[in-house]
Amino acid sequence: MKITDACVYPYPKGDSSVRRMALEAKSLGFDRLVAADTPSAEFYGIEIHTGILIRDTAVRDLTTRIKRERNSEAIISVQAGDNGFNRSVISLKGVHILRGLHSADKNAFDHVVAKMAADNRVAIDLDLFPLISGRGFTRQRIIHRYRDILVLERRYEFPLTISSHARSILDMRAVREIAGLCSLIGMDTPCVEKAFFGVDIITTPPNPAVKVIL
Amino acid sequence: MSIRPPTLREKRRYLLVHIEPAGTIIDQKDLYYTVSDATTSLWGDGIAAVIMSAVVASEGQYMIIRCRRGTEQDLSVALSTITSCCDNRIALRMVAASGTIDTLREKIRKEKKPNPEEISPREYMFDKKLFQIDQCNGQKIDVIEKGFKNTNRLFLTREDLEE
Repeated sequence: MKITDACVYPYPKGDSSVRRMALEAKSLGFDRLVAADTPSAEFYGIEIHTGILIRDTAVRDLTTRIKRERNSEAIISVQAGDNGFNRSVISLKGVHILRGLHSADKNAFDHVVAKMAADNRVAIDLDLFPLISGRGFTRQRIIHRYRDILVLERRYEFPLTISSHARSILDMRAVREIAGLCSLIGMDTPCVEKAFFGVDIITTPPNPAVKVIL
Repeated sequence: MSIRPPTLREKRRYLLVHIEPAGTIIDQKDLYYTVSDATTSLWGDGIAAVIMSAVVASEGQYMIIRCRRGTEQDLSVALSTITSCCDNRIALRMVAASGTIDTLREKIRKEKKPNPEEISPREYMFDKKLFQIDQCNGQKIDVIEKGFKNTNRLFLTREDLEE
């Protein structure tokens, strides 16, 4: 199990190279980064995992795109939309993470989507960037939304991931600081740890219910 | 008000923070206002009054921030929400917490790296653009794009420039 930041944007999307982000992540206490559109590698002892973020795509095009990327080792995440879209996305084989629920529709994530996420082992991402950079009503709304997601997580136990969505080393935060920020949304230490290991949970195949012994 | 005897004084804790990126000079008073603003925004006036944060000392890239004992965690969460100070993008990295300023000053002396290295040449091509080196510390190299209009700052490593 590795402490993972589930989404960072290195250069050219951000202003820091992937190596520099790895160096920073090491000093901040991370073991792995999921870097958008960056080939998998290992720098300074930090594992870099390729991440593919799909957004603003219709479900039909999404299916084609996911089929194309399924054989790669990349972590595929999809930007959340309305409730119907999220249900369709979660039932697609090959989707690992559903992102951006804080900016989605109010009813985008309900108990049905939560149950489906738990059954299909699709993680729900908690984006910390708006919590860090937001102020006033914006931040209050996001805290409220994340608290709502956590109520469903306690009931259905779907996987969670935590991501900084950092485009610069200045946007990255230490593991301890992230744990502190997560306490704002009512996450205790075991829950934060589980969310840090979320990428391991979604990439490991589940134990089969029936084992064939020859 | 007369000064209280030590046993009746409030217990304080001091946090040592490091300001990123390297080479950023921040005025102590400006940082105090930024910290105060972040604390009030996150926790509200009630808890901000309990935390009672103040920037008490600065040594180059390091700042020492005071708070009431028991509120260090709340203050460090508030510090992690700071993204800029006086229109400069910054990040505050917490280094240590202590009950005395002396201990933190000692820590600064231990942590302080030697003067920034001089490397040559001072200009490098990266991604088909010309960059000038701004800061260099071990593997970390901060560069600024040369030009009049787009003078973006990039955070790279030695290996990025050697490629």
